[in-house]
Amino acid sequence: MNPVLALRGVSKNFGMTAALTDMTLELFTGEVHAIVGENGAGKSTMIKIMTGIHQPSSGAVEVDGAAVVLNGSKAARLRGVAAIYQEPMVFPDLDVTENIFISATSGLLLNRPAMRRRARELIARIGMTLDVDRIASGLSLAEQQAVEIARALSQDVRVLIMDEPTASLSAHEATELRRIARALAEDGVSVVYISHRLEEVFELANRVSVIRDGKHISTKLITETDPQTLIAEMVGREVGNYFTKMPSTATSETLLSVQGLGVDGVFQGITFDLKRGEVLAMAGLIGARRTDVALALFGMLKTTSGTVTYKGAPLKITSSREAIDNGIAYVSEDRRKMGLAMALPIRWNITLATLQKYLSPLGLINTGAEVATAWDYKQKLNIRTPNTDIAVGNLSGGNQQKVMLAKWLNMAPDLLIVDEPTRGIDVGAKAEVHALIRAFTAAGGTALVISSDLPEVLALGDRILVMREGRQMAIIDHADASQESIMALATGQKDAA
Amino acid sequence: MGLISRLSPAALRILALLAVLAIVILFFAAQIEGYLNGRLFNRISSSVAIMALIATGQTLVILTRNIDLSVGSMVGFAAFATGSIITNNPDLNPLILLLYSAAVGTAFGMVNGALVAYARVPSIIVTLATMALYRSFLVEYSDAKSITTSGLPAWLTDFPNLPVFSIGAMEFRAGFTASLVVVILVHLCLTQLRPARQLFAVGSNPEAADMAGIDAKRVVFAAFALSGLMAGLAGFMFLARFGTITVVAGLGFELKSVASSVVGGVNIFGGSGSVIGAFLGAILVDLLETSLVRWAVVSEFWREAVLGALILAAVATDTLLSRRLAKLRAKKGDSK
Repeated sequence: MNPVLALRGVSKNFGMTAALTDMTLELFTGEVHAIVGENGAGKSTMIKIMTGIHQPSSGAVEVDGAAVVLNGSKAARLRGVAAIYQEPMVFPDLDVTENIFISATSGLLLNRPAMRRRARELIARIGMTLDVDRIASGLSLAEQQAVEIARALSQDVRVLIMDEPTASLSAHEATELRRIARALAEDGVSVVYISHRLEEVFELANRVSVIRDGKHISTKLITETDPQTLIAEMVGREVGNYFTKMPSTATSETLLSVQGLGVDGVFQGITFDLKRGEVLAMAGLIGARRTDVALALFGMLKTTSGTVTYKGAPLKITSSREAIDNGIAYVSEDRRKMGLAMALPIRWNITLATLQKYLSPLGLINTGAEVATAWDYKQKLNIRTPNTDIAVGNLSGGNQQKVMLAKWLNMAPDLLIVDEPTRGIDVGAKAEVHALIRAFTAAGGTALVISSDLPEVLALGDRILVMREGRQMAIIDHADASQESIMALATGQKDAA
Repeated sequence: MGLISRLSPAALRILALLAVLAIVILFFAAQIEGYLNGRLFNRISSSVAIMALIATGQTLVILTRNIDLSVGSMVGFAAFATGSIITNNPDLNPLILLLYSAAVGTAFGMVNGALVAYARVPSIIVTLATMALYRSFLVEYSDAKSITTSGLPAWLTDFPNLPVFSIGAMEFRAGFTASLVVVILVHLCLTQLRPARQLFAVGSNPEAADMAGIDAKRVVFAAFALSGLMAGLAGFMFLARFGTITVVAGLGFELKSVASSVVGGVNIFGGSGSVIGAFLGAILVDLLETSLVRWAVVSEFWREAVLGALILAAVATDTLLSRRLAKLRAKKGDSK
């Protein structure tokens, strides 16, 4: 049997840099083929070649055993190759039906009733319920992905590439998405599944390919490999156990004390103490309102009950400016929207929140000092960039995350609130970010880490606060915590202690 | 409430706009004696007849996240070129004359479109340049002469004022009616034709449009060509209405058309809006302009400032109103 889609010795160069070298990959109908690799390994370039956005510099793309030229995403779609991404590609101003049929080419007049009927069928086929008249801007990420999958199905997709589809989904939504992926494969679609979550890869995939530095490393049946082997192949070396918990650096001095904090209709009764040098991890499912607690502490959400004591005195802040002046930093989970100015250079981003420190007596920006600081962070955080004048948007996700951390660390905060610090970044960068947070607390800083990644919660948290639907379920010491016990509290299978 | 939840956001915007229009009319009716009459309707409808066409074209361009600042110059050139052809060939078939005007506009629009879509120059730069270029072509072409009414056939100058039908004191004349028909036609095309949907897609999320296999360049090119076509038709109307065409014909129309579109709820960042909205926007802007002239409270020196403030207020009210309605609607949606 011919593979439905194959790359034969494909290389791709951008100027002097080789993004892909002699890549070979075969995809068969009915399989879920996982592709793993660190950020910057060349996965995105490979997807772009398979979906016709890039043309290979050398080598061939084959469909059903015959070499083809996929010039443009339209050509790829006509061959039945489609992709969905971590950040869904929907049209926010159009409704669900219009989104699904936007690539359709037949018929000049729109037949609205027929389109809606067909849209409902497609949504039902992937086992979702969704109002087909809703405007896409109001949909959740999971729903937007469903729309994209339905769009691919409407065009008789044969190869569906899913790029980090579950990175931004809640546990329940992710399970649902994996079910859809499995069902599509059983329907005869060849599913390419790209993920940083190895548990997921082992649960879902039939085969797994590892790529590193633009090269194909291995392709194996999932039953013939194990997570340790995959990680070693991905990074090309044995990774020190990045999930191992480092000893706590907590002191006896209480930095922050929160009593019965609440915001009407959002969350209630949040109570905890935080020692200097401690890491408190907040676990919970999406919708547990952890980010809202962080925003309340950062002054961006008005609290309606409870008290906050900070550095021994009552604290009442109403704006992020006040929070920053009090030494509280908040690193947003949304790099794009709230964290970084993507088009601006790295060094501008790093000094953005603390620019007053870089002013000369005349009020001009002291570029020399700015460059020195940025370069210092580049070295310390191992930000992979030739210089600090490059726009942040050109860095990989992991390096963007490091720039964002640098920006807030540069403020020398007492309390660092980090929201999903390693979302969508690779294993190597993850370990580096963890080490960074550790170094920060070891030097006397205090961290509040929000994470949906349970291994991360366990690796970082000296104590773990579990939330569920706006309520504090429990605070567990690291010694007593396990993935199972946290999950049981977060899903409400076990009640608040 | 049930009604609100069933209406589309687009329909909500139109409703909000109609409410603002009604408020403005009631306000001036209370302020100015004998304000509401057939003459007011005639005055506004004959000037909206031209602006509605231009704003329609502008809307098509704005939907794709672009802007066309050359519309005023295109209108002026088309009006002059058409006027000079008919002056020299008085027996020319009216339909051919109309097509000629449309073709002149379309040709200019295609130049804009090619530069924006294929040469990838930002539209604000391209059309700022062509605004000046097309105006200079007009100066060169006209050789400092003007088109005068006396040189034009009677059918042309009579056409805009032919009564078609009337509702009460409101007399719908041919010029306004024709323009209304064009707006409705474009609206139907925009909502019912498959290719038109790509216009919204490109403006709504260009990256996603690319991934969805939409040829964004062709879509943007088409939008500019259509904007040119609309400017050509408007040029014809301009010639028929005024008869006298000088080198300054259509000056300032670019900003007025952008104002009409934006007041009409067309998102300046692309992706959403309707030509019906832009049409109502054109009426609102014109209504304010006309009414202020008759409002003794405002001196003529402050008129522009008051107009600007009122446009701002209208847009703000409309935005707040439709956001509030959309919120109500979302709440309704959640509770089911």
